[in-house]
Amino acid sequence: MTVHSTIATPIEQAQRPSVWSRIWQNDAPGYLFLLPWFIGFFGLTIGPMITSFYLSFTNFDLLQAPQWVGASNYVRMFTADPKFSASMRVTLFFVIFSVPLKLAFALAVAMLLNRGIKGLPMYRALFYLPSLLGASVAIAILWRQIFAGDGLVNKLLALFGIIGPSWISNPNYSLWTLIILSIWQFGSPMIIFLAGLRQIPQDMYEAASLDGASKWRQFVKITLPLLTPVVFFNAIIQTIEAFKSFTPAFIISGGTGNPINSTLFYTLYLYQEAFGFFRMGYASALAWVLLALVGLFTAFSFLTSKYWVHYDD
Amino acid sequence: MTLRFDRRQFLLGSSALVAAGAAGVMPAWAQAANLRLTFWGGQARADRTYGVTDLYEAANPGTTIEGEFLAWNDYWPKLATQTAGGNAPDVIQMDYRYIVEYAKRNAIAPLDEFVGGALKLDGFDQDQLEGGKVDGKLYGISLGANSVAALVNTAAFEEAGVEVPTNAWTYDDLMTLGEAFNSANIRGGMKVIADGSYSEPMLDNWLRQRGKALYTADGKLGFDEADAVEWYTLWNKLRDAGVCVTAENQAIDTGAVETTMLVMGKAAIMPSNSNQLVGYQAIMQDKLGMIGYPRIAAGVGGGHYRKPSMFFSVAGASANKEGAAAFLSYFVNDPEAAKLLGVERGIPCIAATRDVVAPTLDEQNQLALNFVANLGDLLGPLPPPPPASAGEIDASLIRTLGQEVGFGAKTPEQAGPELISGANAILSRS
Repeated sequence: MTVHSTIATPIEQAQRPSVWSRIWQNDAPGYLFLLPWFIGFFGLTIGPMITSFYLSFTNFDLLQAPQWVGASNYVRMFTADPKFSASMRVTLFFVIFSVPLKLAFALAVAMLLNRGIKGLPMYRALFYLPSLLGASVAIAILWRQIFAGDGLVNKLLALFGIIGPSWISNPNYSLWTLIILSIWQFGSPMIIFLAGLRQIPQDMYEAASLDGASKWRQFVKITLPLLTPVVFFNAIIQTIEAFKSFTPAFIISGGTGNPINSTLFYTLYLYQEAFGFFRMGYASALAWVLLALVGLFTAFSFLTSKYWVHYDD
Repeated sequence: MTLRFDRRQFLLGSSALVAAGAAGVMPAWAQAANLRLTFWGGQARADRTYGVTDLYEAANPGTTIEGEFLAWNDYWPKLATQTAGGNAPDVIQMDYRYIVEYAKRNAIAPLDEFVGGALKLDGFDQDQLEGGKVDGKLYGISLGANSVAALVNTAAFEEAGVEVPTNAWTYDDLMTLGEAFNSANIRGGMKVIADGSYSEPMLDNWLRQRGKALYTADGKLGFDEADAVEWYTLWNKLRDAGVCVTAENQAIDTGAVETTMLVMGKAAIMPSNSNQLVGYQAIMQDKLGMIGYPRIAAGVGGGHYRKPSMFFSVAGASANKEGAAAFLSYFVNDPEAAKLLGVERGIPCIAATRDVVAPTLDEQNQLALNFVANLGDLLGPLPPPPPASAGEIDASLIRTLGQEVGFGAKTPEQAGPELISGANAILSRS
């Protein structure tokens, strides 16, 4: 091979190219087009990730050079940090309630839209809109207004003679206002559900109706099982999104996670440690624990998926 | 010309300098006379500050000052990042809370060698000078003095038919005022005062009147569990009597001006700072006044102090420390500069400058100046700079525990010891 290639004339080379030169000739344009992405991926994602992994074993505070402290950041997290467990509880509560409720809501709306109503594209676009706006600062500020003591919600309740609390500043309800905000952004799972519903053959429903199956029975026996791959996909994506949720809590609580740490999302606590108290090392460790946690959740979902996800091949 | 965030101009300028330097024809001033300045604040502060840099550039041809300003919350992460990267601006606006940390790490430079030379400090108030010292060396030049102060919505008091209290008022008076306010029932149940139970300066003020302090000179806690329990009990009493706002309302306040109880119209008095009167008045219709924090008993003073509201420091890595010191000197001494700056950063620290500024002030600024100048027996000594983790103790303990007591999730007897043990844990960690 090597002997051949060293003595090969240019013509022979073109006829019997080596593996590398073949890759180069066939794929070079492709890699060239990918180059900007590669630069971003290695320079802005992989590089900082490796750095943050190293920093998670140090006490870096931005002003002084990092000093190696071994695993003590991780040990501290699990043994001596009440705010870590508090923020973990808030985030898990948020994930456990917001994801299923959002998916159920998205599926319900998708099924309504799937009945062949007029102006479907318009409704689809309208319902998708909150998803686009969702993580923005403006919406979080709007939410603050709606759920404030003299906000829209309480003005509506007042019509029925109910005096509502200040939802956002009451520790019993503040997290629920964020869960409702998350449910309101049901647009992207809805679009995916809608596409999934379109895939289900209509003749199955016809056969079931002939056999006298009720609508509910059709939903449970036909729609849900055939939709499980889409449910699975949506559940994974939304769970990851929920774990990462930051902006709404940051804006609504002014970055404090208050009242009484009731909206102290894990990501918000991480931000406070890093940019409030300049503990970059500890914050890096927090970030890696979050990554591991999300990875575990996702792996668990994939492992259990074979028992409830039906791929109809 | 001042360079302000104009990237193209900046790049042009710096590449021209690099080219000149490479060719070995760099004029002596090119390196010496370019200063970078950074500060936190709003547009009003920026306009005043840039007015002064323009004056300085006009008076010192060849000098350029490139300014940059940010909001408080964005300022510290950026400054720390710049310092870590070795490119901190030459002139840095510094806070009492951070000066020790920055000085101990040589991120800012001692200025003693320039005093009397480039940096003229004749007639500078001694207590303000002391406030900028760390381990006996001068690291920050105070840009103004301020004090904690209670802002009073005088229009609301008029409406309620209650007389505005004076600097002589006490926490007992607060109780009586609250009852009078509640029976007048104005503006949908406006309370007389915001909930101060988790305001760090108000706790500090109350402790100082008792002869204690938040922190001691060696960076330890200056009060004990009994103090903390009594503090929470006091506020529970005020809250139960409806004198201060409910916990739910107080929690709306996230620190932004427009979420505060004073601006929201939920309370007629709010603990704040003397230099913030102008800022609050700018967004409120009702006329505001200013009094001291309440006394723990009639005639007890010493809770207040004239705090350096902020400093200018010079970066430890600055290539032009002397030029920076000369600019600082101009900033605090020049009469024209003083007129532009007013009392926006606090009351000027040089008596001659105060005299220049006083006649130019409007009524509200006069009020702030007179308040700080005439604290009388309210005035106590300047406390030592707080330890580095004071900010964390404020955010993670004082605020959270105060809310927990306010919402009834904890009793004062539970929260008091938790505050002490939690604060000690944070202090020993860093």
